[in-house]
Amino acid sequence: MSEIVRMVVVLSLIAGICSAVLTMANQGLGPRIEQQTDLYVRGPALERLFNKPATEVLPNKVTIETDEATIPVFFSRDGETISTLAIEAIGAGGYGGDLKLMVGIDLTTGRQIGIEVVQHSETPGLGARIEEVTFRRQWQDLPTDAPVALASDGGNIDGISGATSTSRAAVSGTNTVLTFLRNHNDDILQQIAQREEQI
Amino acid sequence: MSKTQHIGATLKAGLWQRIPPFRLVLGLCPSLAITTSAENGLGMGLALAFVVTLSNGIISSLRNVIPGKVRIASYIVIIATLVSIVEIVMKAFFFPLSEQLGIYIPLIVVNCIVLGRAEGFASKNPPLISMADGISIGVGYTLSLTLIGSIRELLGSGSWFGLRVFGESFEPLAFLILAPGAFITIGILLGLQNLFSRWRGEKFIQS
Repeated sequence: MSEIVRMVVVLSLIAGICSAVLTMANQGLGPRIEQQTDLYVRGPALERLFNKPATEVLPNKVTIETDEATIPVFFSRDGETISTLAIEAIGAGGYGGDLKLMVGIDLTTGRQIGIEVVQHSETPGLGARIEEVTFRRQWQDLPTDAPVALASDGGNIDGISGATSTSRAAVSGTNTVLTFLRNHNDDILQQIAQREEQI
Repeated sequence: MSKTQHIGATLKAGLWQRIPPFRLVLGLCPSLAITTSAENGLGMGLALAFVVTLSNGIISSLRNVIPGKVRIASYIVIIATLVSIVEIVMKAFFFPLSEQLGIYIPLIVVNCIVLGRAEGFASKNPPLISMADGISIGVGYTLSLTLIGSIRELLGSGSWFGLRVFGESFEPLAFLILAPGAFITIGILLGLQNLFSRWRGEKFIQS
């Protein structure tokens, strides 16, 4: 066997075996990683939205497939009826990349509970102030049937000064959720009902 | 030297004679960056110990199969696989730690200690002794990082493994948690080790 063929064969074999091992590891531990990500990344946001420990909310999860993305939805019930939903959204166009938001919806009153930032990479002191309660509190009790907008665009959300793109991203993320909720409301309830039946 | 003696000597070498990062002055980048607390140091050290032990074992068993011209590429593929496995396992079981260590876990792939041991030791020695070398280097690195992390955490934030050690009145030396503190801590430890070695009349072993 010539030198060059040997090189190609050995390197390909090593690469092949390595990818097989990695695929196995990823397949085996994938669900567990997903679970841990839920607990540590989404958990704190859910805790604040639902006012319940994260471990109680996290199992109540359904994922809705839309044309563009798979959207995780968390729910909690008040007696028999489903009272609140937390829908994850991507707020496109933040200054340091897309924001990952969680929007709380109160189904009984048809109003928003608030938004929580799950992940962001905004500038500390400017865009990162999106985490502050004073900014996020503005979402409380807004209706779910009308899109939200910044004050400078004629809406009623005061943006963070010096961080317009971050504020816009948060608003656009919320609007994605509201549109999603309008179009897929039945879908979500159906999925939740299906999940309950399985258990 | 008999075989068991040889393995024993190799096992011991990583703990003093070529303890990374002090003697084997490699892998300094993560040592400086992540040792802000003892826990981080321990986690990073264990991750590296796992990778270097297995990579030494695998590379040494394949040392006669891998053609010389593509050996570095092959080493990198093997090491990268092991590192990815560490990353996946860490994400699945120690999520907060993996968030803390962040990019430094994937960067173990290009850690000079792992490559250095693969090229300098495992490619010339049989598997068993190579794994012994990996374990000893890994344990040495874990000990050093935990020590550096402990010093920086104790004096820099007044706690050890997250537990408060000093009372409320303790004013932490905050600069030890920052980058200059890492250089100063490692420098002082390295100086102390050199001083001690000279006092004992040890010969410095570089390989």
